[in-house]
Amino acid sequence: MTFEPTISLDKTDDLPSSSSLVNHYSQIGIKNDGDQLLLILPTQAEINSELPWSETWQELKHLLQTKEQSWQIGTKVCLVAQDRLLDARQLQTIAETLDDVKLSLSKISTNRRQTAVVAATSGYSVEQIQSVDPLIETLTPVKKVPSSTLAEPLYLQSTVRSGVEIRHPGTIVICGDLNPGGKAIAAGDILVWGRLRGIAHAGAQGNHQSRIAALQMEFTQLRIADAVARSPKIRPRNLSPELAFMTTDGIKLAKNSEFAKNYVFSSLKRAWIDRTANSSYKKSKKGA
Amino acid sequence: MSRIIVVTSGKGGVGKTTTTSNLGAALAKQNRSVALIDADFGLRNLDLLLGLEERVVYTALDVLAGECRLAQALVKDKRLKGLVLLPAAQNRNKEAVRPEQMQKIATALAKGYDYILIDCPAGIELGFRNAISAAQEALIVTTPEVAAVRDADRVIGLLEAEGVNKISLIVNRVKPHMVEENKMMSVEDVLELLGVPLIGVVPDDEKVIESTNRGEPLVLGEHESTPAIAYTNIARRLEGEKVPFLDLLANQGNILSRLRKIFGG
Repeated sequence: MTFEPTISLDKTDDLPSSSSLVNHYSQIGIKNDGDQLLLILPTQAEINSELPWSETWQELKHLLQTKEQSWQIGTKVCLVAQDRLLDARQLQTIAETLDDVKLSLSKISTNRRQTAVVAATSGYSVEQIQSVDPLIETLTPVKKVPSSTLAEPLYLQSTVRSGVEIRHPGTIVICGDLNPGGKAIAAGDILVWGRLRGIAHAGAQGNHQSRIAALQMEFTQLRIADAVARSPKIRPRNLSPELAFMTTDGIKLAKNSEFAKNYVFSSLKRAWIDRTANSSYKKSKKGA
Repeated sequence: MSRIIVVTSGKGGVGKTTTTSNLGAALAKQNRSVALIDADFGLRNLDLLLGLEERVVYTALDVLAGECRLAQALVKDKRLKGLVLLPAAQNRNKEAVRPEQMQKIATALAKGYDYILIDCPAGIELGFRNAISAAQEALIVTTPEVAAVRDADRVIGLLEAEGVNKISLIVNRVKPHMVEENKMMSVEDVLELLGVPLIGVVPDDEKVIESTNRGEPLVLGEHESTPAIAYTNIARRLEGEKVPFLDLLANQGNILSRLRKIFGG
């Protein structure tokens, strides 16, 4: 039962502030709503800078392809465009993309007159709403109260490859590898059922309790809330499932089995603390 | 059924064009009709590697502009029956073509040839999107270097997003002795990261440079070199044949045994 800490830790302040990360959630949302699916585009305000349409589209395609196929063939989709301006061509690409995964676009909900006109011209039913409409509020509870509620977990059945960035205002579960150059940013926990070789940022809205777990930790960088840990130069050859979490000394790694036994979260210190810290187990707690 | 295959890599200089020319020649040698499309508008090279430069009259752009028929623009290889090249325009850049136009050309060629190989430009911008727009399959070329593998990974992601799901990997320029000494990524390392099936391992060889400068694909050479055999084997695997991977460390059999382990024989 010898357990040595396996990474060197350091807190750095070169991270963008967590609040800007929150605003940066550009993730398109998909929700079940009775017999239809809601496809929620991020609002103009949520994408600070004007995100090019091609990226939004790429993201949509990626999401549809990797998301758990929880819908029936031919399910109707309501596009919640919020205050996004969409032209006829963009609407058509969305419809075609949905068509590829056997979904059919039927309704567009928007609070922009222009988008509503375009949608109607293209033959979709339109729901024009004011931004204060209660419907929208219930659709996006996370955005209204960012720190207290998390979105449903996002389950991805694919390898996250270089250049792909997954952002989600909840927990992310990746059934596959997170490759170098790939990035997962979650407001909650991140679980990688595979190799974690890229960058994972859990608790991106400042939650210190968030953890990152992977079958094999070979990360480039781990971040929890505002702390960063780089990969150590030397890592053991045979890696067992490990868990990264915040301690008072920064981010620390532990074997999954060790973690549950030894650590409790202290909301006072906003960190996981070693219950056995005063015993001979002390040596496992070596910070930066 | 003809197959439209794009040869791509993300990173430049890993051997896309060399691979395209050699595979094209190897397939033609196996009595297949092959059309090679140079999709690297503005930086065309494929004609040089095939030694067809002086015979280029029209380019793909002339076809699109309606200045010539598609058949007129195709440059036939004198050495090999069944191998033709559709050259890219050198005086224009990648913005001169749109994905739909590439699709049109490739589907038109698909009617008359068994294989359409598209030589993709480096990068992931419009040139790349043009090149992959018509493809049903992709051959990823990478070298055992961190940067090349990283870019290959990105490109595989983009291909998957575009619905090109039949992807095979060629690991080019492997130096078996460096791998042996742990100074170079092994084919196994590359495979583990990219997670796509391997279709060929090509060793690093000076003869490749020699042949590209001469404008004669290696597989057409009189003396069979190891890379030539490797390319011929890839062509045979494309045809569905089961060909064992080359033993690059002739005496030690290390890579082979590793590959055997991975593929169960």
